Amino acid sequence: MDPAAAISPGEIRGTLAEIASRLGYRGSLSPELRLVEDLRLDSVGILTLAVEVEDRFRICLDAADEAAIRTVGDLERILRAKLEA
Amino acid sequence: MTDALGGWLRGAARRADRGVTFVDRREREHQAPWSELVARAALVAGGLMELGVEAGDRVALVFPTGEGFLAAFLGTLIVGAAPAPLPPPSRLGNLDEQQRRLAAMLGAAAPRLVLADAPLLPLLREPVAAIRPAVRAWTLDELPRAASVAPVEVDEETLGLVQFSSGTTGTPKPVALSRRALAVQARLLNSLWPDVEANGGAPHERSEHSGNLVHRGFSWLPLHHDMGLVGCVLPALERPADMWLLPPEAFVAKPALWLRGISRARATVSVGPTFAYARALRRIRDEELDGVDLSSWRHALCGAEAVSPQTLDAFADRFARWGFRREALTAVYGLAEAGLAVTFGALDAPVAVDRFDRRALLAGRAVADPEGREIAGVGMPLPGFAVSARDDEGRELPPGRVGTIWVRGPSLMDGYLGDAAATARVLRDGWLDTGDLGFLDAGGELFLVGRSKDLVIVRGRNHAPEEIEEAAASVEGVRPGGVAAVGWLPERAAEEELLLLVERARGDVIDGVAALASACRDAVRARIGVEAGRVAVLDPGTLPRTSSGKLRRGEALRRWLAGELAGAGGDSAIGAPSPAGSAEQG
Repeated sequence: MDPAAAISPGEIRGTLAEIASRLGYRGSLSPELRLVEDLRLDSVGILTLAVEVEDRFRICLDAADEAAIRTVGDLERILRAKLEA
Repeated sequence: MTDALGGWLRGAARRADRGVTFVDRREREHQAPWSELVARAALVAGGLMELGVEAGDRVALVFPTGEGFLAAFLGTLIVGAAPAPLPPPSRLGNLDEQQRRLAAMLGAAAPRLVLADAPLLPLLREPVAAIRPAVRAWTLDELPRAASVAPVEVDEETLGLVQFSSGTTGTPKPVALSRRALAVQARLLNSLWPDVEANGGAPHERSEHSGNLVHRGFSWLPLHHDMGLVGCVLPALERPADMWLLPPEAFVAKPALWLRGISRARATVSVGPTFAYARALRRIRDEELDGVDLSSWRHALCGAEAVSPQTLDAFADRFARWGFRREALTAVYGLAEAGLAVTFGALDAPVAVDRFDRRALLAGRAVADPEGREIAGVGMPLPGFAVSARDDEGRELPPGRVGTIWVRGPSLMDGYLGDAAATARVLRDGWLDTGDLGFLDAGGELFLVGRSKDLVIVRGRNHAPEEIEEAAASVEGVRPGGVAAVGWLPERAAEEELLLLVERARGDVIDGVAALASACRDAVRARIGVEAGRVAVLDPGTLPRTSSGKLRRGEALRRWLAGELAGAGGDSAIGAPSPAGSAEQG
């Protein structure tokens, strides 16, 4: 990923919305939506989300990152931090 | 009598022409010849021996799919000890819950020490610290450097593997399998697909190279699960054969990797539970299979949970385009307590599916009915095995009568490690109570109709019903203790589902039945990570219980299916299906 071509928050949201849609969530995303309760992701869904996010954004999520992710907002924040690093 | 595994390890040590290929989720491949794998394992064995590990000791293993697992697993076998593979903590899951389970499993396995993959060590600190007597967790690099060790000769009755199984109640129990049991299973499975040499093969055999047929396995199954370990790794070691391994997480996230991998490897054998075939069907896009050729896949086995005839049919239909042959599909049945495989459907023939009268089935009789419920046969007992359907008193039932399935065979477990009482409940006079319900047809083929054991299997994972019920019962408006969680395969469903039968609390339901059902669904998803297929809200006191007040889950399912439970309704699938079955919603 070319660091100079920084990815915008809008693009992050857009890609996440695409991934969520493939996992069955058709609504629009907002930061306070919880992955489990609101996006209705079971353990298979959560695993798929983690892998898709890593692949699409070309980043690695470690156990510490994952422990902190509960909402769409958490995920976006961590993605922004990793992409800017 | 000396065990056979030592000989297999020595044989594999001499083979550089065959090996294991590890595929990652980006489809990068890393090949390790058997000679290298065994050499690395022999060093691990040296380190283990230095630490005082002896034949018959347990060594707990916590590794993802990879070379580390094999080095640890084979190294443990080399010193004559028994591996006890445990599920590595999975991503984004409830870590506290997973650590609790690991601690329980470690306690039950009572290992001499723990071998773990380095990145997992911090997550294992707490569970390992709880083991008594105290043991230490080691990474492979931390093991003492010692000269490599040749396979220690042990008697075949020596403990060979501790395989965790959900048993009859859903909480993992340590199944003790002897070296002999492992050898029996690996040999039996390999005998089903013998390699064919150029001049010895039957002329009609389809083969990749003129006259030759060399079997190769492709597996994404977790290596801590019996189907992946006893079913794939051990037979590959025995030959030794070429084997491809993909991590289970990679398959779950991208099912296309399974079919693409089989094609690239020209694999002839690959196994999956029903949910895997359903997931592949649902999630793989045509574009992902560009250039894929599935014609090498001669044996597409399906087992570990209820076999859905519709799923397999749809799978064969869809992937025929890429060379998949319907006859490759074979339904199989087995369980960890039996060593693994017990029955196998006919190879090179489509899965046997028959239709049975629904009402008669609910009453315990299998009666042919062209409009009835479709059930896939799971085949005939393998050589040396016997299967019988028995009533509640343990008496053998005639063909066509539904009963609890008992099995006998040469690879049954020695018992549940350290739990004589649980063992005595399922092992009697050389026969094993499987906890599954079914019948034998006139020809002796086994058909399964459900489970009497309290186990819920959803999307390939086993769950104890109690945990699910507790989560749902925590919802306001649910009668305390008034939840039954049951796993079942609805007709025409792609895979097994979770059914929640929920008694509402006495008094008015605050927000209505639909909201209550939805709240129960949310609670189960949040706490257990499982999506309930159906939630039925019932009147208080409706769930059947024993005289001592214990929930009768199997009976609850039977009554719900028969429309005998008084209910207020539920969520999208309203109440119980009619016995005709066609009223169910997807």
